[in-house]
Amino acid sequence: MMNFRNLTIPAWTWSFLAAFVVLILTFMVAGGGAKTLTLAFTIAPYLVLVGLGQMLVMSTGAGNIDVSVAKVFSLGGLVSIAVGEATGSWVLGLAAAMAAGFALSCVSLASIIFIRIPPIVATLATSLLASAVSLTLAQGFQGSADPVLKGFLGSAPMGVPAFALVVLLFTIFVQLMLGRTTWGAQTLAFGQARRASEYAGVSATKTLTIVYLTSGVLAALSGALRASFSAPNVELGNDYLLDSIAVVVIGGTLITGGRSEPAGIWGGALFFILLDGLLNLIGWDYAGQNILKGFFVLAVLFLASGVPIIHRRSASANPADLTLPEAADSTASGASFDVQASAERSTVT
Amino acid sequence: MTIKTSNASDRPLVQVSQAVKTYGHTRALSGVELQVNAGEVLGLVGHNGAGKSTLMRLLSGLERLDNGTVDIGGMTTPGAFGFSGVRMAYQESSLAPELTVRDNIYLSSARWLPRWCWHKAAAESVVSRLGEIFPDHGIGPNEYVDDLPIADRQRVEIARATITDDLKLLILDEPTESLSGSAVDHLYNYVRKLKATGVAVILVSHRMREILSVSDRVAVMKDGAVVSIHRAGEVSERDLLLAMGGEVLVTEANATPFGPAIDGGRSVVVRVPMTTVSGEATEITAREGEVIGLAGIVGQGQEEVLDRIWHGKRGDIKVDATRAYVPGDRQRSGILPLWNVDRNLTISALSSLSRHGIRQFDAEELLVDKWVKKLNIRGGSRATITGLSGGNQQKVIAARAFASNARTILLDDPFRGVDVHTKAELYQLIREEAAKGRTIVWFSSENSEMQHCDRVYVLRAGRVAGVLHGTEITDNRIITMSFAESETNAA
Repeated sequence: MMNFRNLTIPAWTWSFLAAFVVLILTFMVAGGGAKTLTLAFTIAPYLVLVGLGQMLVMSTGAGNIDVSVAKVFSLGGLVSIAVGEATGSWVLGLAAAMAAGFALSCVSLASIIFIRIPPIVATLATSLLASAVSLTLAQGFQGSADPVLKGFLGSAPMGVPAFALVVLLFTIFVQLMLGRTTWGAQTLAFGQARRASEYAGVSATKTLTIVYLTSGVLAALSGALRASFSAPNVELGNDYLLDSIAVVVIGGTLITGGRSEPAGIWGGALFFILLDGLLNLIGWDYAGQNILKGFFVLAVLFLASGVPIIHRRSASANPADLTLPEAADSTASGASFDVQASAERSTVT
Repeated sequence: MTIKTSNASDRPLVQVSQAVKTYGHTRALSGVELQVNAGEVLGLVGHNGAGKSTLMRLLSGLERLDNGTVDIGGMTTPGAFGFSGVRMAYQESSLAPELTVRDNIYLSSARWLPRWCWHKAAAESVVSRLGEIFPDHGIGPNEYVDDLPIADRQRVEIARATITDDLKLLILDEPTESLSGSAVDHLYNYVRKLKATGVAVILVSHRMREILSVSDRVAVMKDGAVVSIHRAGEVSERDLLLAMGGEVLVTEANATPFGPAIDGGRSVVVRVPMTTVSGEATEITAREGEVIGLAGIVGQGQEEVLDRIWHGKRGDIKVDATRAYVPGDRQRSGILPLWNVDRNLTISALSSLSRHGIRQFDAEELLVDKWVKKLNIRGGSRATITGLSGGNQQKVIAARAFASNARTILLDDPFRGVDVHTKAELYQLIREEAAKGRTIVWFSSENSEMQHCDRVYVLRAGRVAGVLHGTEITDNRIITMSFAESETNAA
């Protein structure tokens, strides 16, 4: 255990390692090949987009979290399809969804900054608001996605989903913003010590505004794209709350703030999506899957907050690796395998 | 409540001998000798860092001694509830703000209240005790503490401390700081009443007149020891000031003119409207290139002045230049724990170093190298900040402010608990930077530090008690001015 201190492997690698282990298990259980990966990379970008926003919010320190992403995601889907249908332009549809996400984040921000409501409560209230609007919109909802956009989201030349590449570029952009701009440094400084950063000249209002707006806009945009890929639905975003928080944590971002791992979100998202597929394969039901995911998040948090034996104060090694044996154990216990079931879960009809 | 008359023997109630307490390198108590008898009021005076608070924390059982003994009514080590029969009313209220008065009483005095259905009993006890001490109080037991004005909170705090069945020693820490007029008289009447029933009272206060009028004896603390004990009837305010290390220059010091002096040539960059202790309007001003000190007893408004300058948007303040802040509380307000020395050092300077918001790593590196070398920061630029000693952390935080392009630097008592060598380096840095045209506004709880200032404002109760220039700035004068009481202020 002592040599953990000397490891300089970046924190985000552990989530990829976890995803890789699940992939191998899937292959072992069901055979299959590149198709499994293509499917995972087709689905993952939506979760990555939401996760990136959630990561920025969580990076601004303990207590900062956006629990409205799920409902904003669903609303984004409904709004983009409705506006796209009405105007005949999918671009306007996406813009409308982003505007909706922006507006809802403004509501959260007003409560957080001016009334000083804890973010979890403020974004929960926003979540209810988004949900109410979604339900109203969904009544007698007719509409389908623009075929051009839908075609792009589903295209995977040579097994490489095009949309995944776009989101990958965006992930690199976020990484660069955090690492190489004044804004990034100030956001991370704010996340690790709010008072200290304010005395060092970082504006709390500006920092919080940017991260919550980004989170809301990304959630709505992701929902809009997801709805174009399959179909808009009030329930569409429901899984994205737990999943977005989980992939951020598993990806190596500190829940206490101050350290972001955008790359880790890809590992976390692939891990979760592959895990979903594998659990479907071996016949776990939805409730069981959620319990296992929740367990992973808790396990990572438990380990990251310093289990006595590991004794790691410096930000060198990420404990996600220690969750791997559990992943392997639970997944290896299954029996019936069918790669088609995995595909069914992953492709949305 | 029944107050037991204390032991009939001649043994003092409280016997402290050879008490030593150190925090890190700081010696808070260095061999305190003190006796308090039952039925006696002991006044305790001393300037910042004299060890009063540590001694009181010791008597209330919050601190253990490193060396020496303490004996209170036969107990030599505090139990789970401290020493039995010892209660303390704190200056910075110990009440829970989100609870009602009644709930707070229960929190503190549960042992003397019924275990079940305590609400009514707690309410009754606080109402009757408040009525006993402050006959005209008007505080309801169901009011929330944070809704109460500060004077009422102080009243509840005092009442809270006295609600017990076996009061032997009551410690009052600056009880009248937020009380006025008749409330002060009422409190001291109650203190005399307690005294008559055999309770010992220790009164910690900066108000010499009150101390002298209420106490039987007055103990003077200086540098962690009780330096002298006087009979209250045989000593004057001046004698006490002298014993604390002050100069008998009360009249002369007060006569020092307010307002700008000497250097009229350079422009005024900071202007904070204030009032003097006697109620006249005045200003705290700072010129370009000046080092301005804010001195006096801790908590008399110095940090509020810094805060007003730092936020600089409350209308009345005039601040010309960009500002940087060096906080005193390193752990909570200073370090960025996840980062190394280099990123901790550059955070304030980032925006001025960057081009269109893009960080310039080479420029950052140059800046870090310059400051690490200049301040001789141990471990170098790649060391983890949490691994550094307090002194080196403070160097990094000071360097953070001075490495920025801020023209005005605010120092919030940043050199507490920093070793002498580091202090000397930082004092030199301050002088150098001022010589380059920067303005320094510096609050310090250590009077000797203030000698590095061009001008020092001594604050008292949020007001300006006096101004000292150049060679006038001495420990003695600051102490003297800290205790200056104007006619309006002395209730």
